[in-house]
Amino acid sequence: MSYFDTDWAALTVNDWVGMIVTVIVAVVLLVAYILVFHPKNRENLESQRYLVDGVDGENYLRENT
Amino acid sequence: MEAVEKYDFSAVRWFSIMAVIYLVVGTLVGFYIAAELAWPVLNLDLPYTTFGRLRPLHTNAVIFAFGGCTLMATAFYSVQRTCSTRIWSPGMAWFTFWGWNLIIVAAVITLPLGITQGKEYAELEWPIDIAIAVVWLSFLINFVMTLVKKKTSHIYVSNWFFLGMLIMITYLHVVNSLAIPVSLFNSYSIFSGVQDAMIQWWWGHNAVGFYLTAGFLGIMYYFVPKQANRPIYSYRLSVIHFWALMFGYVWLGAHHLQYTALPDWTGSLGAAVSIAMIIPSWGGAVNGMMTLSGAWDKLRDDYILRFMIVSLAFYAMSTFEGPVMSVKTVNALSHYTDWTIGHVHSGALGWVAMVAAGALYHLVEKLWNTKMYSAKLVNTHFWFATIGTVVYITAMWVSGIMQGLMWRDYDEFGTLSYTFAESVAAMMPYYKMRAVGGLIFWLGGVFMLYNVIMTIRQAPNSNSKGGE
Repeated sequence: MSYFDTDWAALTVNDWVGMIVTVIVAVVLLVAYILVFHPKNRENLESQRYLVDGVDGENYLRENT
Repeated sequence: MEAVEKYDFSAVRWFSIMAVIYLVVGTLVGFYIAAELAWPVLNLDLPYTTFGRLRPLHTNAVIFAFGGCTLMATAFYSVQRTCSTRIWSPGMAWFTFWGWNLIIVAAVITLPLGITQGKEYAELEWPIDIAIAVVWLSFLINFVMTLVKKKTSHIYVSNWFFLGMLIMITYLHVVNSLAIPVSLFNSYSIFSGVQDAMIQWWWGHNAVGFYLTAGFLGIMYYFVPKQANRPIYSYRLSVIHFWALMFGYVWLGAHHLQYTALPDWTGSLGAAVSIAMIIPSWGGAVNGMMTLSGAWDKLRDDYILRFMIVSLAFYAMSTFEGPVMSVKTVNALSHYTDWTIGHVHSGALGWVAMVAAGALYHLVEKLWNTKMYSAKLVNTHFWFATIGTVVYITAMWVSGIMQGLMWRDYDEFGTLSYTFAESVAAMMPYYKMRAVGGLIFWLGGVFMLYNVIMTIRQAPNSNSKGGE
């Protein structure tokens, strides 16, 4: 467990900035995972697959749903 | 005719042609320097043709000349098609084309003359670095402004990948190239010591991560669905793939500096995030491959699609191998050996060059409104590229692991068992095998160039703006 001991007082400004950015990025990624894989967002996100054909893809989707 | 009025592909056409030419030239230089290692007499005792000067010429030619022209062709093409709008400034696209090609000419002149900053994948001296920044920004501005003009409700995922690459490479290139000029062809980095090494590999790995991965994933997300004629397997997976890649990749550079003066934790962090990156990378590879779900038979006779799907297999393989090599225990064996060269080429030849070849074949057919002159030749190219890559990377795996084992072997008295020269002698058969692999891959590129030239020559006259 000593591996996880940290001398918090020794952390420099750069260390704090780095750590805060790391934590924010991890949280943002977690939120992204939850939002993307939530069932209620499935239809909206998957419909964008047809944008590979631009406006034609959107028209195709409109006509077939 | 509608497409002709709606889009402007004139610069895209020339980017595509130049990409194929640079593929042949860049891999020819690669083959030659591989042959120099196997048969040193090929150095010719001239400073201009030594391995040390031609190697950066090879990397610049394949990464920035071939890779850059491919990215510019595919990005300018797909952003117009997916946004259903004309490029914001055709004139600026031509500026990007001429600027980028002049930079390549400058590289061809300065690198054999030994004019270099000595930074890996960033060798070009400061005046050329400034030119790169200006031309790259013209690419970025034109791409973003075309997105602004979009007629669709959302931005398709391939554009997100291109945009991520454009923004990050601007930032990475500018910071890594910060230097104090002392003359027209000499400058010194503003960073020194271990900070310089860290900045170098922050750039170096992200050139791989954002330029050769994110950019080429943009290609994959547009061209695989178009060639397969079916939408991408999962858009949700593509969104996760994008954000995880954007947030994750920037941390990896430190894994190039294990067991150096860099603080130990930075290498460990780099390795830990590298391992984590297997998940989004494999998610993306599966997403591309599963696009063919229910239509695998297309691979039987669609040789262009074969390039794209096999490239994804290499993408999955090299994005697994890289993180494994970044782990300290493995790195202790693999670092500084030919295993690294094998790994780089499984990504560069197997993933980047093959997905690019597939996309360029698709583009040539669309831009000149015709079919390839010879489908058989596309298939021949496919097999030459695949076999050449496998021969190359197998030689380097065996050579690299043997090299690492020889370097660290010691006897009962604690003395090294082998001299460095003995390890070099042991590698010679594999250097020859690598040169043969490179030759096979290069021949495939020659077939492609011939096929593209003949396709364009026999294509019906079409509007100078290009397109169907």
